[in-house]
Amino acid sequence: MLTFAEELVVLLNDEDGAPVPVQEDALACALAGAVLLDLAFAYRIDTDLQTLVVTDRTPTGNPALDRILAKIAARPEAADTRTWIRELSVDEAAAIHEEMLSGLVERGVLARQVEKFPWNLRTPRRPIVNGEAAQGISRRIRAVLHSDGIPDPRDIALIALLDACDLLADVFPAAEIEQCRARIEQLRLMDLIGRELAGAIADIERTIIAALRARSARFRRLLLHLSTIGGLGATAVLLAPRIPASDRFGPSLLQSLWFDELWQQWSGYLLLGFSGAGLLAMLLLKVRPVARLGGGHWWRLAHVGFGLCCALLLFAHTGFRLGANLNAALMTSYLAALTFGALAGISTNGAPQLRSMGIPPKLRSILTRLHRVAFYPLPALVAIHILIVYLY
Amino acid sequence: MARKAALWILCVSGTLIATALVTAWMLVGGDRRMLLIGKTTDAHHQIETTCETCHAAAPFASAAAAAKALNKTCRNCHEDALQAAEDSHARKLFRSPRMAVYWEKLDARLCTACHVEHRPEITRPGAVTVAEDFCVACHSEGDQDVRKARPSHAGLTFDTCASAGCHNYHDNRAIYEDFLVSYAGRPWVASAPVHELAMRSRAQKPPAEAAGKRGAALAPATALAEQTALHDWAGSGHAAAAVNCAACHAPAAEGTSRAAVEAQWIATPDSAICEGCHKTPAQTFAQGRHGLRRHPSLAPPRDPSRRLEAIGLSGLLPKAAAAWLADLPPPMHMTVAEARLPMRPEAAGESLHCGTCHQPHAVNTERAAVEACASCHDGTHSRAYFGSAHHELWRAELAGQAPPGTGVSCATCHMAKAERGGKVVTSHNQNATLRPNEKMIRPVCLDCHGLGFAINALADADLVARNFQGKPSVQVESIEWAVRRTQETGN
Repeated sequence: MLTFAEELVVLLNDEDGAPVPVQEDALACALAGAVLLDLAFAYRIDTDLQTLVVTDRTPTGNPALDRILAKIAARPEAADTRTWIRELSVDEAAAIHEEMLSGLVERGVLARQVEKFPWNLRTPRRPIVNGEAAQGISRRIRAVLHSDGIPDPRDIALIALLDACDLLADVFPAAEIEQCRARIEQLRLMDLIGRELAGAIADIERTIIAALRARSARFRRLLLHLSTIGGLGATAVLLAPRIPASDRFGPSLLQSLWFDELWQQWSGYLLLGFSGAGLLAMLLLKVRPVARLGGGHWWRLAHVGFGLCCALLLFAHTGFRLGANLNAALMTSYLAALTFGALAGISTNGAPQLRSMGIPPKLRSILTRLHRVAFYPLPALVAIHILIVYLY
Repeated sequence: MARKAALWILCVSGTLIATALVTAWMLVGGDRRMLLIGKTTDAHHQIETTCETCHAAAPFASAAAAAKALNKTCRNCHEDALQAAEDSHARKLFRSPRMAVYWEKLDARLCTACHVEHRPEITRPGAVTVAEDFCVACHSEGDQDVRKARPSHAGLTFDTCASAGCHNYHDNRAIYEDFLVSYAGRPWVASAPVHELAMRSRAQKPPAEAAGKRGAALAPATALAEQTALHDWAGSGHAAAAVNCAACHAPAAEGTSRAAVEAQWIATPDSAICEGCHKTPAQTFAQGRHGLRRHPSLAPPRDPSRRLEAIGLSGLLPKAAAAWLADLPPPMHMTVAEARLPMRPEAAGESLHCGTCHQPHAVNTERAAVEACASCHDGTHSRAYFGSAHHELWRAELAGQAPPGTGVSCATCHMAKAERGGKVVTSHNQNATLRPNEKMIRPVCLDCHGLGFAINALADADLVARNFQGKPSVQVESIEWAVRRTQETGN
């Protein structure tokens, strides 16, 4: 039998072995929650309002679960479920994911492949080879969702976990999940598990929902609005007419901004600084100790904020004039990075709204990749731009 | 992780390679067209890849040094023309410390204060990149306030100074006050209009002794078999001046044996051969737009091996790489396809050298004066010439129905004749009378027309487009104002 974490990984892996694009936070929380659920179902841990305690230190036989169990048991002071969800989702999610993938490969559910595309880069993929096992999970969940029968407690827990992490609509069609909303709520209320186990499971779900909602509620709307402003700005850049140069001799702020070399140096270096800061914010998000500060949302907010500042500075630096030759390439690349960044922000933070509109979640990862691809030529083009300015 | 690392390596190495490559193009040699930051102004676009012609400062020089070098290169090419124009705002006037108060407003010591390259959006006629009312910078305050010094200017706005046919920044030779007064009241056309220099030019004959030197044409048999060429040459000024086949086709062997001529025969001599004898036309040709690529001040292509040596990399790059870094030499001649004026599509393949206008064997200056121009130029003004009063006068002169010098060809106005050392020469710098068009008044228009008519006609853009068919609809009041002021002040 697969563990919760393994079933989760199988569900979030498409047939070709590529990961289904989901919110990083949600996946990390789901993996942390799945491991805790596995330990709870194995009667190794228990929870109450204040603490999550190890009730049985006997190994389960699953290396990943046993590693986490040992980690929890090794802590001298007791911590609550919220602390463990946060810690595991930040520190252990990537390792858990990798261990689950390796375990599934060993058990013949997934295969290990390396794709040499694009640019001959080795991209590891884990396509599903045991389709029956994989489809069995989906079939089981669908059966539970579309029937009025009494489900298996493990299925209830898995559905509740996916729902808590807002991942159901990433795995199944959004419309189907909306249709089953009443059934999902009904499943939540079913008391089919022993009181102690039910308490632990409910606590884990509550904690995950609270953690994700707290982060989402605080930032998602703000990020969505900022990304939308960025998207509108980018559209304006492409469609709005340029502000013409003044026909009157004398001081003019816009004229100075766009045609005075000293002003252009200031705006140019500020633009470079803010672009670098935006990039740094996103890179730091990948560094675990840093990402732990604010759980990543602050860094995303900083990334989007710097992006918006860059759009404003780009207006100050160029008046959104595209220029010629390499300057035109630089502007095109920069505008593409801004535009795709804004659209990726909208698709990420407006995922529920987009899902209800029938827009596939994969769009999010496509836009994020385009945002990155548009960025790749920028360092060279910026360096050349600066060299040209000082050389000539 | 491996994928991420590979992407990072790819991104960083790609950035470094691309930057290094373009830096090599900038510092060592190579095609730099992609580095141009904006459309180059008309005429300069012909030389836009010889960057060092204008950007003469050392790489990464200070802003002040770069600006100084840049402005010096402007003067390298344009100083003679400014001096000839008796520049009203000559640089030397503004170098005086007493003019320091104006430097902040518009630093007239620098050409680049008003003319900045690669800024198409703010580039106005005459490659001016400041607003049209720039005179306001200095002439709106104190004793320079023209509205107080000239009551007639009280209600005028500064955007009309240069646009109404009254003032130019540099060349005011035909529109300054005393000149206006001295030429006031003249009829619109003279009673016996004639271009005196053109008339004298037609009377110029080859030196008498030349005829005696005309010898047998030494040339390969295949060349001598071209009867049309021989026939054209026999009737040309070259034949009259004893310039035989070898003079152009085998200059090194001229005056020797047939065998030597045949051995050194050049089937299609280039313009350098013509320049050997026709120095003044060649010199002026290179000053104009047609021959700009032959201007002596143009920077030569960079030598990549010397550049590499200068930065201590001479031995590091293989020869093939150094050769690959060589500058693209700009074409020797401008091509019609590169022109930014309307041109005949069938002329697109033509390039501009001596033989383009002057048929190499016939050397027909009459054809060169009109038909050669019209074989390429296809603008409204060019097309309107045919059938105009000027054209009719030209046809009458060619037909012998009118005296020499009375016809008006394209070259009459755009390649005005001048006197040098007692000889009449044709300036091949078509730019000398082109823009602002008041530059044409003194050397050309006043030969036949009154100043008032000429100013009005040149200020009327529609009339210019119609090639002066009709009367001017524009009335420039400068002569009346100048006369009135002279009468009022008694000067």
